[in-house]
Amino acid sequence: MNKKGGILGIIVISIIIVIVASMSSSNNETFDVDMTRTHGSISTALGSPILGDPLAPITIVEFGDYQCHQCYNWFHNTKPMIMRDYIETGKANLVFVDFAFLGKDSPKAAQATYCADDQNMYWEYHNSLYTSQESKIDSGWASSERLKAFAFNLNLDMELFNECIDSEKYSKRIQYNSQQARDNGVRGTPGFFIVGSDYDQQQIGGAQPFSVFKRILDSMI
Amino acid sequence: MIEIFKVIFSNFKFLALSVIIFSSMMVLLLLISEFIFLEPYFVTHIPSGSELGFILIITLSALSALVIPMNLFRITNLKNSKQKMSGSIFGSIVGSVAGACSCGPIGFAVISTFGSVGATATAFLTNYEIPIRVVAIAILVITYFTTIKSLKTECKVNF
Repeated sequence: MNKKGGILGIIVISIIIVIVASMSSSNNETFDVDMTRTHGSISTALGSPILGDPLAPITIVEFGDYQCHQCYNWFHNTKPMIMRDYIETGKANLVFVDFAFLGKDSPKAAQATYCADDQNMYWEYHNSLYTSQESKIDSGWASSERLKAFAFNLNLDMELFNECIDSEKYSKRIQYNSQQARDNGVRGTPGFFIVGSDYDQQQIGGAQPFSVFKRILDSMI
Repeated sequence: MIEIFKVIFSNFKFLALSVIIFSSMMVLLLLISEFIFLEPYFVTHIPSGSELGFILIITLSALSALVIPMNLFRITNLKNSKQKMSGSIFGSIVGSVAGACSCGPIGFAVISTFGSVGATATAFLTNYEIPIRVVAIAILVITYFTTIKSLKTECKVNF
């Protein structure tokens, strides 16, 4: 009887250990976000950290894919001037929301940015992806190995980063963000919403030049 | 060769067709490739690094506007075969399809409708946009020269 009880006890303890272990390694890890954060009609709660002054009267919401060449064009041709004239001066801030639809490496690249965000390096990682983008979609430039290499180059804690990206911790976050894009009528990347302090918002589709952004932003200030 | 141009484009119908093909094809391709935006304002721009793509679109439109009316002239006036017409149409379509960038609304619509097959197709068209356009231009150039050659021969026979 004691022997049977002992075996039963071991089985019960084993089951408890397995359940606890599976829960601790589950993808449903928690992360600190403000779920009430919205800009205009868009829930940016699971988007990027705010770039610039959080209290700026205007917010630029960018929907983008890290494999999109037009996003690359906007990042290199238009964004620097917006940074200089509006974000660094406190007139506007920017939130990036993932719309990862172009290829199999797109969601993975988006997830990697939030793994970098765990170490407070979201924007540095975001910038390194758009700096390193290659023109061909799914050519391997955003494979898991390359994403880890980008993290290594930024001196991130590789143990934490690898665990985060291998577990696909942020896959649901990317799905949520992509759904926000669809719900708000975004039909390609990059797509923008300029949201003013009185909640009026203007949509811009595509990698449009600085002059277009300037005209809209100046009309809202 | 100049005589052939004079014969074809002195006819208002063929001249108008040429102008329509050039302007509509150029505007459409520039819109698809995001060199022109209509909303929220009309604006044109050539981002740095996209100059080659812009030049290829202009070349493709110009060649299509030249070759398609020439072939139509052959068919309608000389009652000849439609064989070389297919070359010019094929070249124009191939070159146009290459501009369906997967980032934009067309690519998004294709991916949304056809899923992973659509994503693969648009990725291919995006990845090889420049080589596909070069091939399309090559097809149009070959069609142009073969059309000129056959027009010279056929015109001698018919006039």
